[in-house]
Amino acid sequence: MNNNAIEAIQLVKQFKQKKSKKAEFDKKRGFFQKKAAQPIFTAVDGIDLVIHRGEVFGLLGPNGAGKSTTIRMLCTLLEPTSGTAFVNGFEIRKQPTQVRQSLGTLLAGERSIYWKLTGRENLMYFAALYHIPTRVAKQRVEELLKLMELTDRADEMVEKYSTGMKQRIAISKALVAKPPILLFDEPTLGLDPQAARNVRDLILKLKSEGHTILLTTHYMEEADLLSDRIGIIDKGKIIALGTPEQLKEQIQQKEVIHLEISGWFEQLEHVIKEIPGIDHLIVKEGENSSLQNISLQTVNSRAAIPLLIDKVNVNGTHLVNMNILKPSLEDVFINLTGKALRD
Amino acid sequence: MTNLPNVLNLKPNRLLAELNAIRAIVIKQWLHTVRYPTWVLQLLIWPLIFPAAYILTARAFAGPEQIALPVFNAATGTDNYIGYIVIGTLIWMWQNIVLWNVGLSLREEQLRGTLESNWLTPVWRFSLLIGSILVQTVTIFFFIAVTFLEYRFLFQIHFQGNIGLVILAFAVAFPSIYGIGITFASLVLRIKEANSLVHFVRGFVMIFCGITFPISVLPGWMKSVSQWLPQTYVIRAIREITLVGADFNMVKQDLLILLGFGFIWMVIGYFAFTFMDRLSRRSGSIGQY
Ligand SMILES: Nc1ncnc2c1ncn2[C@@H]1O[C@H](COP(=O)(O)OP(=O)(O)OP(=O)(O)O)[C@@H](O)[C@H]1O
Ligand SMILES: [Mg+2]
Repeated sequence: MNNNAIEAIQLVKQFKQKKSKKAEFDKKRGFFQKKAAQPIFTAVDGIDLVIHRGEVFGLLGPNGAGKSTTIRMLCTLLEPTSGTAFVNGFEIRKQPTQVRQSLGTLLAGERSIYWKLTGRENLMYFAALYHIPTRVAKQRVEELLKLMELTDRADEMVEKYSTGMKQRIAISKALVAKPPILLFDEPTLGLDPQAARNVRDLILKLKSEGHTILLTTHYMEEADLLSDRIGIIDKGKIIALGTPEQLKEQIQQKEVIHLEISGWFEQLEHVIKEIPGIDHLIVKEGENSSLQNISLQTVNSRAAIPLLIDKVNVNGTHLVNMNILKPSLEDVFINLTGKALRD
Repeated sequence: MTNLPNVLNLKPNRLLAELNAIRAIVIKQWLHTVRYPTWVLQLLIWPLIFPAAYILTARAFAGPEQIALPVFNAATGTDNYIGYIVIGTLIWMWQNIVLWNVGLSLREEQLRGTLESNWLTPVWRFSLLIGSILVQTVTIFFFIAVTFLEYRFLFQIHFQGNIGLVILAFAVAFPSIYGIGITFASLVLRIKEANSLVHFVRGFVMIFCGITFPISVLPGWMKSVSQWLPQTYVIRAIREITLVGADFNMVKQDLLILLGFGFIWMVIGYFAFTFMDRLSRRSGSIGQY
């Protein structure tokens, strides 16, 4: 028995990929031929992870990195292809019931609760499924409704709630059994800024109460703000691990320059890349079509900036804005993978 | 270390807690039934119109003055072709409703996105189906009662026979009908083509179990298929009880066979469910739709 909240050991999840149209066609043609091996896709590729009790751990990564798949294995919805994990000291394959009893899980999306039930009915229902006696459950549900400021609306059907309120019921559902460990998959996804802030405050409050929290996100500000430690995950592998400060220190000697350029054309990207001392150039998808945002990293901005201005201000292209910033977690990610977190 | 007071430390009696969970599942299922109230109309209309189509066809084929009735009587032992059809179609509709309600209950949760929320709790997963079945049984009880009442008052059909024996026949058919429902519920989580699967199963029952005609008119190979379907036996037994006035000894064999089928289908249902559960944990298909 180990005393970590969560420990993953060489956790791997592979999915058989859906047969493509062509493969199906081939199969029909050659009935007696040997079936072609199904292509296998590795969503989580050997994750080792220790999360201490009382810690908030942020799993940060782009779309498809394997964050949700990792959470799904830890909460026993998915069986690992190989490797294992312990949650609250229980092994996820052999002791799934104990693991589920130790966990409060919030999966991404607001569809995890019943829209045709009221908020209170939802919570009473899940309390019973967590084997909480009705008497205890009633009290617990009142407590949670109060904490979430939903007492007034508790007897309305969930379908009438706002997205933020639905999310608060979904979080309450995860908390109803007072589990020591919480798994939150993208807890602020799809929420308006105010609702997202409320959820982040709540996470900090839950941490102060002693909960261990594993959260996934692809917002680095969120990971930075909430997490004691962060694991950056990409293509199923954890490529960096540490406190937000440690991660940023890795590229501390670097400076990050954000540029806004008008009259952007594609070849300019290559021109800028040629400038000595500049690396990790990222061309961002701009909201404003006439201006192009780009970011790049350099060890010496004093040497790079004059060259940049020279190269950019040609043929009707203008540098209209420039910021030199301290590296953020996003820049850490760019430094590690050569691509932006949000494509 | 955390010093959270953990509700789970209360260590409630596991069995009582599970029963309490089933109670909650029943309440949830019931609230959903009441809050999607289209079923009330269906409950009144279907028992009437579905058999009616067959009854009117039969009346037309029976010819003027119902001259074909003696032939029917020779094959079935009764003149009461309306009652004969009502019993057959009633059992068919029972299986049909079970396929839709119990059989699709998990699939519905999957589509709603709530199935995973249930799967995340330590509840015994089979309890979810037990809850559906309990709610369904109440609805079907009304359905059967409505059928008998409507035909009694609208068509003046008199069902005879021992009511206790009728209930017994329904009861011994229960495990088969619901075992098939559970098997079905498990399959549609993987094979997501639920509708065509329902049509297949009920079409099978319609043709092979003699819902509107005696099995004896089927060609030989179809007769042997009929023998393997529990619906054949429950239809036959209830017809004998209500139309011919058979006593327990006359239907004993059919009822025993039904119990045997019930056991087999419950076992198949349970294993289909566990198998599906394991498979979807590998492929991650529980959350997909
Ligand atoms: N059940 C499944 N079957 C097949 N492939 C899957 C399945 N679940 C996930 N995948 C694939 O595995 C990869 C990782 O998915 P995952 O949901 O873990 O990513 P994520 O990091 O949570 O991304 P996002 O930010 O989009 O939520 C994706 O490419 C996804 O398509
Ligand atoms: Mg995800």
